[in-house]
Amino acid sequence: MSDLFVQAKQAILATDKEKALEIAKRHLDAGGEPLEIISQGFVPGITEVGEQFGRGTLFLPELIMAAEAMMAVTDVLSAAMAESGQAGSATPAGSILVATVKGDVHDIGKGIAVAMFKANGYTVHDLGRDVEVGDIIDAAEKNGSRVIATSALLTTTMGEQKKLEETLKKSKLREKYVTLVAGAPVTQRWANRIGADIYAENAHTGVVRVSEKLMAG
Amino acid sequence: MGKILTRMGDGSPVELSPAELRQDLEDGSADAADRGNVPGLDEEDFRYLVELFTRRDRFVGVDVGNEVVLTYDGAALKFKRHCLFEERLHVLTLYEKMFGADTVELGHVDYSYKPVKPIVNYEQGTLEMGLLTTHSPLIYGAMPNLGLYTRPDGPCPNPMELLPQGKIKEARAAYEDMVEEAVRDIVFVVGSMYESGADGFNLDTVGASGDADVLASFLALEKLRAKYPDIAVEVGMAGEFVLGMHGELEYGGKRLAGLYPHQQVGLAEKAGAVIFGPVVNTNTDQTIPWNLARTVVFTRACSKASSIPVHANMGMGVGAVPVTDFPPVDVLSRASKALVELCGLDGL
Repeated sequence: MSDLFVQAKQAILATDKEKALEIAKRHLDAGGEPLEIISQGFVPGITEVGEQFGRGTLFLPELIMAAEAMMAVTDVLSAAMAESGQAGSATPAGSILVATVKGDVHDIGKGIAVAMFKANGYTVHDLGRDVEVGDIIDAAEKNGSRVIATSALLTTTMGEQKKLEETLKKSKLREKYVTLVAGAPVTQRWANRIGADIYAENAHTGVVRVSEKLMAG
Repeated sequence: MGKILTRMGDGSPVELSPAELRQDLEDGSADAADRGNVPGLDEEDFRYLVELFTRRDRFVGVDVGNEVVLTYDGAALKFKRHCLFEERLHVLTLYEKMFGADTVELGHVDYSYKPVKPIVNYEQGTLEMGLLTTHSPLIYGAMPNLGLYTRPDGPCPNPMELLPQGKIKEARAAYEDMVEEAVRDIVFVVGSMYESGADGFNLDTVGASGDADVLASFLALEKLRAKYPDIAVEVGMAGEFVLGMHGELEYGGKRLAGLYPHQQVGLAEKAGAVIFGPVVNTNTDQTIPWNLARTVVFTRACSKASSIPVHANMGMGVGAVPVTDFPPVDVLSRASKALVELCGLDGL
């Protein structure tokens, strides 16, 4: 790995946005490919940030700052790709809608997921907590999200995730979206039972599984 | 040896070969040892756990002489979860007289100190009736639950709205304000119930809202200890490590974020806890042998580091118990036996 890629990774781990931007600029000035430094420098950095968060060695404010640094460099590198006539974006990510379901006001896990998805280049539409199924679907339709992710912390509210699946089917919209379910009482069994596409044990897993699903088409 | 029937962390049945069982035990142990920087299981532990999972008994129990104290947190509320609409005091007597509880816990349906504050006089009356009705120690339990102090439920801005916007300074200030509010409520409610005769208290699911939640609990405990030197308070945690939602809060000169059970217990004791309840989360994507090996490693490290009694939390999604409404007795009893016999616990 080149020294610059190592520095790119370190800049993200250090949550140093200015340094990350400087490295991105140096790479571009030297005629480097934008995707190269993203995939070999910045993405490994943000991946390690996610892993450290999951182990309790890095905390939410640092995760947020790392996400901001990541977003800043991907903006710069995406613009460079556009200028040089390359198609696409510096990250393969898409748009995701996130909400805590109706009747549930727990949003810590959702907040972590929002930060983690942003850090990995996703455009996140965060509807907040205690959100009606109808409002979730309306928002997804309006903002063009590809993924709908819902969180439920209570056994008494996880039924809303089932209601979302049923409502999407009734509205003939189910195939349009990738659905993700998460929350303390939520399991892979529950996801299978209600027909959700992805179950996420934690925020990091959620990002990995959504990315895999989107790349699979 | 044929296939070994056990479960995944979500409760679904799974069959493992002897080699797979051993591998899952080793992997679970290694994961905890790596994360907590604590010793993993030794060969004798692996033999114990392999035997535990390969025996054909539907239900297992501890060996004679290894019995420990059993306490049921939120006991009065859990009957309703199973659609049994018994009045709270009846439930306490059922736990005491039929379920082998050594201590019983009264709690309000909202199970948080903040909503109890305006109705504490009603809770005092119920507690006093409970003290007249039961024989075993009767404790009062609730959660610090810092989430209740954010708008629209409370006076503080919601850090989980501020943080994703990058407003880190404002989010941290909000957490610090929430700590002050929670300390006031916990001290008021616990003090009132103590003066009504409660035998002890449970600060339950400490850390559910992250490091600020832990700090509020410890600071409240300090104040209670100063005011009531003989008060008995158990600190029961919410997760295996303290989530760093603020990230910079300290207690006793140590940063709270990221502390694992063996690092948490000393601070709880310093604050004034007389019992510590560690939590190890169940991973639903892994098998129960993987989860149990991991739980034993963390819990034993905590038990060894502690000079106060340790009562591990076991229930839906913690203590190697699957994430199911009705924990299957085969794995629940195996997890209970292993935690008691391998970790030197004082209670569950």
